[in-house]
Amino acid sequence: MIESKLFRWSSRCSPLLIALALGAPVAAAEEGPLDTLQMHGFLSQALVITDRNDFFGPSSSGSGSLQYTEIGANASLRPHQDFLVAAQVLSRRAGGDGSDARPVLDYGVIDYQLHSSQERTLGLQAGRFKNPFGFYNQTRDVAFTRPSILLPQSIYFDRTRSLGLSADGGSVYAEERLASGTLRVKAGVGRPTTRGLEDQLFSAGMGVNVDGSTSYIGQILYEHGNGHFTAALSAADVNLDLSSRFGNGELNFQPWILSLQYDQENWALTGEYAIRNVSLSGDIRQSDTTGESWYVQYTRRFHPDWQWLVRYDSLVTDRSDRSGSAYQAQGLGPSHTRFADDITMGLQWRVTPRVLLAAEYHHIDGTGWLPLQDNSDPSETKRRWNMVLFQLSLRF
Amino acid sequence: MPALKRFLLLLTLLLLAPFTSADEHQVSLVAHPDVDIRSLTRDTTRAIFAMRQRTWPDGQAVRVFVLPNNHAVHGRFTKERLAVYPHQLQLAWDRMVFSGTGQAPNRVSSQSEMLERIAATPGALGYLEREYLDDRIQVISME
Repeated sequence: MIESKLFRWSSRCSPLLIALALGAPVAAAEEGPLDTLQMHGFLSQALVITDRNDFFGPSSSGSGSLQYTEIGANASLRPHQDFLVAAQVLSRRAGGDGSDARPVLDYGVIDYQLHSSQERTLGLQAGRFKNPFGFYNQTRDVAFTRPSILLPQSIYFDRTRSLGLSADGGSVYAEERLASGTLRVKAGVGRPTTRGLEDQLFSAGMGVNVDGSTSYIGQILYEHGNGHFTAALSAADVNLDLSSRFGNGELNFQPWILSLQYDQENWALTGEYAIRNVSLSGDIRQSDTTGESWYVQYTRRFHPDWQWLVRYDSLVTDRSDRSGSAYQAQGLGPSHTRFADDITMGLQWRVTPRVLLAAEYHHIDGTGWLPLQDNSDPSETKRRWNMVLFQLSLRF
Repeated sequence: MPALKRFLLLLTLLLLAPFTSADEHQVSLVAHPDVDIRSLTRDTTRAIFAMRQRTWPDGQAVRVFVLPNNHAVHGRFTKERLAVYPHQLQLAWDRMVFSGTGQAPNRVSSQSEMLERIAATPGALGYLEREYLDDRIQVISME
């Protein structure tokens, strides 16, 4: 009897303590906020094989590269009906150094839904949030949410991925349910996370230090009817402060992405178009380039657990020099480093709801998004190359 | 001739099937009895099952229960009542869960477990075929 009373006391006491620690109203504890605790995670391991050029490790030598690993775990809790607290830790290696895999805080937010009715929802988020950028950025490292092993690199480039990845700050979101569909708007302000950007943007020897400065991001998304047709426009104004022994400077990144998707029960047609301006000012280097990216992708579910994909993905680093010939003439590097056209064919098999196997083939003309850290000398890269990837993903 | 007869019989059964079974196999939206809301619009129901809306329209926290993606009743409920496909809902949940913008619904493995969990969880929302309904839960009408 005493034991059972003690047990009951402690089981009531612990959610209360946790709720207090989280600063939640005590009343919520009686509903048992711990009942809303959820934990999820994922693990992906890929094998990357290329014939020329290296992608995510020494993929062109031996039997390929196993240096593409993604491991993540998250927890979320609703301490009160209007609040959501969520955080995810991510360990990711994509070539480079083994130390790249050290776990980092991917996101960590407190979300307050201040209004929720039949017609609309309005909320605020504070903390580290993933940028709502195109269709895929917010969950770009989770294989189960991707249509293919690699996202279209022209828009979701992994080469300088931190440029649009996440930010520390605040955001507001609203959802308006109209007669014809649903409108969702999200806008955020914060300091971009700059993880790894030093080595991705500048060659290692330059010793440039990169710091996030106040930046803005916004997305407006419209889902027609039941979500069979979705259109979105995303824009950002990302600012970075650069400092080095040569002096200081600033980098400004302004992407616009138009996203369209038509989704039927057994097939989907997806396309995104992006135009982005990158300007460098200050002592280190001065430049102003506008690049262009787009892809068209068709996915077909030919069995409840099987899907194939075909995609054409195109990147131009500088719209005023599409072929890269002016770049080469100035002696800056081979012309093929300024564009990339990628034809992809892929296959996904959901073996069980928790296991995903995928394979894909890429034929690529150009090295515009080839990571610099895998190919330190651009003049040694080859223009035309092929890549095969296999990936095993697990989730819980 | 017997083959033709059998074919005609099968055809008749197939044609009649949707009418005879429509009522008893209709999937109803069901909730815990403490929920004060009696009806939801389809858009709100869809937003709640997509886990984008976390409260009932009167502000009470909603707890969503679903059957596995490959369960026939889940497929019928999502397609017929919500007009979305199970894989679209799954992707919506994954995108919320792995971006910190929401949570996944509670999974149950059978309709009898659905009934038990909804009867026992304040604010619960789920769905059941008519034959599983009893007086411990209430049916929510969808406008």
